[in-house]
Amino acid sequence: MFNFDMEGIDLEKTYDLIVLGGGPTAIGCAIYAARFAMDVLVIGKIFGGLIATTHIVENYPAITSVSGQGLMEMFRDHMNSLKIPYISDEIKSIEIVDDHFELISFFQKFKAYSICIATGSERKKLGVPGEEDYAGRGVSYCATCDGPFYKDKVVCVIGGSDSAAKEALFLSQNVKKVYIIYRGEEIRAEPINKQRVYDNDKIEIIYETNILEIKGDNTVKSVIFDNGKEFEVNGVFIEIGSIPNSELAKRIGVKTNEKGEIIINRKSETNIPGIFAAGDVADAPFKQAITGVSEGVIAAYSAFDHVKEMNIEY
Amino acid sequence: MSSDDRYKEIIKTEMAKLTRPVNLKVFTCKEKQPEGSQIRECMDCGQFMALLKVYEENSNGMLTIEELCIDDNPEFAKQYDISRVPTILFIDNEGREVIRYLASPKAGEIQPFIQAVFAFAGAPNYYESTIRKNLDRINPSTIKVMITETCPYCPQVATVVNNFAIASKGKIRSIIIDITANPDIGQYYDAAGVPYTIINDQKTIVGMVGAPEILKALIGSDIRVQY
Repeated sequence: MFNFDMEGIDLEKTYDLIVLGGGPTAIGCAIYAARFAMDVLVIGKIFGGLIATTHIVENYPAITSVSGQGLMEMFRDHMNSLKIPYISDEIKSIEIVDDHFELISFFQKFKAYSICIATGSERKKLGVPGEEDYAGRGVSYCATCDGPFYKDKVVCVIGGSDSAAKEALFLSQNVKKVYIIYRGEEIRAEPINKQRVYDNDKIEIIYETNILEIKGDNTVKSVIFDNGKEFEVNGVFIEIGSIPNSELAKRIGVKTNEKGEIIINRKSETNIPGIFAAGDVADAPFKQAITGVSEGVIAAYSAFDHVKEMNIEY
Repeated sequence: MSSDDRYKEIIKTEMAKLTRPVNLKVFTCKEKQPEGSQIRECMDCGQFMALLKVYEENSNGMLTIEELCIDDNPEFAKQYDISRVPTILFIDNEGREVIRYLASPKAGEIQPFIQAVFAFAGAPNYYESTIRKNLDRINPSTIKVMITETCPYCPQVATVVNNFAIASKGKIRSIIIDITANPDIGQYYDAAGVPYTIINDQKTIVGMVGAPEILKALIGSDIRVQY
């Protein structure tokens, strides 16, 4: 449990490491930092990150199968066992002051000798008329959250990734029919999930099709395809990838690539000494919970080295 | 260990840390039997009270759950506009309703509920200084948070809104509503996605929302912060 007592959070202290983010990457980083006996604080907007919305995780070593929420609870237990404080807030600016950083959030001000940016990514919007109007009234970005509202209804999942396939598989447990609508010629899911989709009678894939508009009255009633056809659905689940949460990093001069991902080296270092980055917000081509954790752990080690070199007693 | 057992363990461990008294009122519905005893009428009330007993029994006597039958306490029920059971109320020393739960504090909702109990008991509240700093800019407000048991983001929104309410000295009221248990409320607001946050029945925020956005929506402008 978090935030039960603010005694775990010292606003006067200069933390050895402040980890920004709430997903597996941030947690992996914080766990290692705590085991390096560093004073570590985690500040995240969403605890659990995007993986918390995944209905099933089957590729995290040593855990054969677990829900995203279940995995999140395991992360939380692990953090609690090491008494790592977590707060729900968002840092809006970072300044370099003498030998440390000052992090200013919407609610407080913090100090740290090193920072790990593990702010992850957020789901891309489709950007079509009706998407915003029907958000929460038929348009969803989280099947785990909203799937139960569509029992015996017809829904579509937009996208062809492994996440889109998993969303469709989860939704098929409750709904009458799931249509995967994908602009490409073949969905890009992992072979195991692709086969599950093919074997599922409730799932049908509509290839080479884009959505131009989402229509309805109080709730979603249909989507308009780019071939002009109006297609009746009760729910639209959008799963077309994600964009890195790197705005803060850019504002403070951390270098990013053309996709907005933070450029890091094999030590998870950014171009600014003392600022590290890891996970979905960084520039690794293959993004998974396990790879994010790995980069986060490396960031913790690099931060440990950085703080040690500063001859700070802890 | 089953997930139910695991959740009970969490409740036991955390409630044992409560060091200050808290009283919560829970409205249920009972029917008198011919021999004079009473049985709970509503289907959910029995399970609901059994769960709250776990919280109470593991709190070293610090948490008291006061069960009130809606028919036996009509004036009190009217005063707090209790129209459905079970309902949990956090009422402050001045008689103001701070938090209302139309949701069972189980599974993912254990964390925000326990945090609310602790903050209500006077434990430090991370958002308190900023809420107090902006108190003159906040109109009396009711924030409804629609949740479901399976939603991983809902507990985080509930935690923030509850903490805002506790810090606000009666200006903000938090209502946590499980819309699978109260589908009519979800339908009334056309909510087909959670978390679904409604401020004063006017502003609606769909999906995961952080504390800054909720406070900005309450104030209608930038937040005043004193570091």
